Amino acid sequence: MSGFGRYLLVDLSTGGSEQREIPRHVLRRRIGGAGLGVHLARELSPPDLDPLAPEAPVVFVFSPLVGTPLTTSAKFAVVAKSPLTGQLNDALSSSHFAIAGRMTGNEAIAIVGRAPEPSVCLIDSDGVRVLAAPDLWGLPAAEAEDVLRARFGRGYRAAAIGPAGEALVPFATVSHDGRHAGRGGHGAVLGSKNLKALAVRGREKVAVADPKRVLALAADLRERSFGPATEKYRELGTLANLLAFNALSTLPTRNFREATFEGAQELSAEQVSSLRERTRTHCASCTIGCGHIYPAANGGARMEYENAFALGPLCGVSDPDAVFAASARCDRLGIDTISAGGTIAFAMECVERGLIDVPWLRFGSGEALLRALDEIGSGEGIGPLLRLGSRGMAEEVGHGSIAFAAQVKGLELPGYEPRTLQSMALGLAVNARGADHNRSGAYEADFSTRVDRLAGDGRSVAAAIETEDNAALIDSMILCKFLRGVFADSRAEWAELLSAVTGFDYTAAELGSIAAEIVDEKKRYNVEQGWTPESDTLPERFLNEPLETGGGSAATLPRERLQEMVARYYRLRGWDEDGLPGPDLHDPAAQP
Amino acid sequence: MAVPPPSLHLSAIVLAGGRSSRMGAPKAALDWHGTSLLRRVTGVLMRLADPVVVVHAPGQELPELPEGVLLAVDEQPGRGPLEGIAAGMRALHGRADAAFVSSTDAPFLHPAFVRGVAAALDGADAVLPVAGGHNHPLAALYRLSLLPAVEQLLSEQRMRPFYLFETANTRMLDEPQLQRPESLRNVNTPEEYRAALAEPQPAVTVEVFGTLRAPLGIDRTVVRAATLGGAIDALPGLADISHHVLVALNGEQFQADRSVPLVDGDVLSVLTAEAGG
Repeated sequence: MSGFGRYLLVDLSTGGSEQREIPRHVLRRRIGGAGLGVHLARELSPPDLDPLAPEAPVVFVFSPLVGTPLTTSAKFAVVAKSPLTGQLNDALSSSHFAIAGRMTGNEAIAIVGRAPEPSVCLIDSDGVRVLAAPDLWGLPAAEAEDVLRARFGRGYRAAAIGPAGEALVPFATVSHDGRHAGRGGHGAVLGSKNLKALAVRGREKVAVADPKRVLALAADLRERSFGPATEKYRELGTLANLLAFNALSTLPTRNFREATFEGAQELSAEQVSSLRERTRTHCASCTIGCGHIYPAANGGARMEYENAFALGPLCGVSDPDAVFAASARCDRLGIDTISAGGTIAFAMECVERGLIDVPWLRFGSGEALLRALDEIGSGEGIGPLLRLGSRGMAEEVGHGSIAFAAQVKGLELPGYEPRTLQSMALGLAVNARGADHNRSGAYEADFSTRVDRLAGDGRSVAAAIETEDNAALIDSMILCKFLRGVFADSRAEWAELLSAVTGFDYTAAELGSIAAEIVDEKKRYNVEQGWTPESDTLPERFLNEPLETGGGSAATLPRERLQEMVARYYRLRGWDEDGLPGPDLHDPAAQP
Repeated sequence: MAVPPPSLHLSAIVLAGGRSSRMGAPKAALDWHGTSLLRRVTGVLMRLADPVVVVHAPGQELPELPEGVLLAVDEQPGRGPLEGIAAGMRALHGRADAAFVSSTDAPFLHPAFVRGVAAALDGADAVLPVAGGHNHPLAALYRLSLLPAVEQLLSEQRMRPFYLFETANTRMLDEPQLQRPESLRNVNTPEEYRAALAEPQPAVTVEVFGTLRAPLGIDRTVVRAATLGGAIDALPGLADISHHVLVALNGEQFQADRSVPLVDGDVLSVLTAEAGG
């Protein structure tokens, strides 16, 4: 028997807890991570839930591979209803918290209720303790982690929130080991529960079905993880995207008004890595090592493409010192860099259009960027408006500004311009989480010869479904997406890995059907929480405004083209014309 | 730079059915730096025109062409270009507003020339370049609505394109108004062909990104290459376009077909395929 087959439910209001069995067919068909997470979140969530209400569950979900020697497997998902989108949010992260958490003997830890005062929750072999910790309130997450481990012992691993989570900023993160479950505002959900940190220490042994086979597969995967498919991440990190995206007119600039940035060279990995010192870091159990830490004011900044794009070109800022400092400031506050940069860029355009009177908030000003972040943190000045995120802010500002608020379902767009990446445009429009590049990787097709990236069509739809399904699987196993290039026949190899670990006799075909079920279940969650068909689209800017490419031509994404792709996506998913899944025939919970 | 309005749906017709009598061999299949003349002309036109139709003689063997090229038969290939233009226009019926018509033997055809001719159409029915004292009806633009007029001329045995320009609302473009006028150069004899082949190939800028810079030893360079394959071969250290290496042409589409034609001023972006994160 492998795995623990149960999850822990903790009620912060009472301090009580109980272990609940997870049926074997649920484990088989939802695997772990995002798949098991949406299942448990759906089971624990009444319809039309207030995401910040005490009864709202937040579920930390591990996966069958956690605790095995497979590279990049030390990952977990945090699943809850997002206060930013009002829809499903499954944010993934990695490091020792995943291993320590699973070794408590649980496949997941679900938390409901609200502690009476700022607290931490400790879970270890002695059980569950909810302890008052008002002295930690106000600390950045990393400092809170350090205090916790000094106070209770080095064996504890903590997931914590920063000041923004305490202030219920709807794009606050959950952090640990310098990594973040970043998108969608889980930090605010923990903040609403008065929970500064969840600290875990485990001693249970993680058993696998076929230990010898797992060891052999792990050695093979480790070897392959050093190959050309991961070289970019090792050598330059994802920041390597920036200059190439600029050449391809896919680098969102000044709130998505442009897709090439005159300051791209200054921010490029090619340049900053040659001019500045940096430190490479690995997540726990990872052989890739994609983290590149650059010196910044207030400590080091982990520079990845997404924070560089959002705090750089999107705000028109080309000064690397300002962008690095802004990134470090987001880490200290505990806010999602994409939503922070996206909301500030939106505000900058509002200023430029005379819709709000904040004269210092100008595109291109690094000082303005840092001041805006400070005001998000302090709640002063324009802070209260920025704390709403771009959709909430557009609702306050009015004057049709929602047309250029670059978000889907309230989640700010990542660094992929939809008009020049039209498979991705569909993925951003229909994904359950909102505009997100990790749950929908359709850009992979756009960055290939498989589709015409400037004219989305049926091939784009097929690519969007395939990559969304693959993301559902890889996010449920969970493995790092940066490994995806090393698999020659992904689903067959994933089936082999999962079979060796779990003892379930998976096939590639079964994984295909499981992926579709997970995507369906995410949609069912959203429908129960108020999803409407109108939300499966992109902001007006992308549908009405031609985008000038670097080559001088105009890229357009006509509304009818996107609508056709969405309709085809629904058909191929087996959903009705309004995007509703049919009867829940495959719900594993309904099976004997 | 003049550009055609986005509302103009441009297509193209390549006349490949000529007799090539002075050349002594079918021009369409003549080698052009590892590909064929016809492949080159269709490839250049495909950058701007959709669809591109190749008009050929009955039974004529054609060299390999890229996916998406339409074929039409000129049933009366000995009767001059108007027959071929009519066959092409019929194939394009309902699929575009206007067609750029090109001969096969135009190895120096440049997209900027085609773009400039198309931009000049405005309210006219046709655009006719005039250079070196000659009209160039096989490097000209025709609205597809001219098909009845073309068929009328054919039925009257008035086979010269000149007659069409007499009656249609035609805009003439003089040499100073033409971009990349070398596009008009044809190769009609073996001597002309050999001389053209001996000229320097197009100057193409190659930009290299990310981790490929170290093994290639360059960030940016200029190579001489008439095709994508030629450009790759000119970069020692770049094995080939592969699962891990992508090449985009002029910042737009990714290309993997080595026979894709390149022209002067093109920019190739070479990057690793792992774009996410």
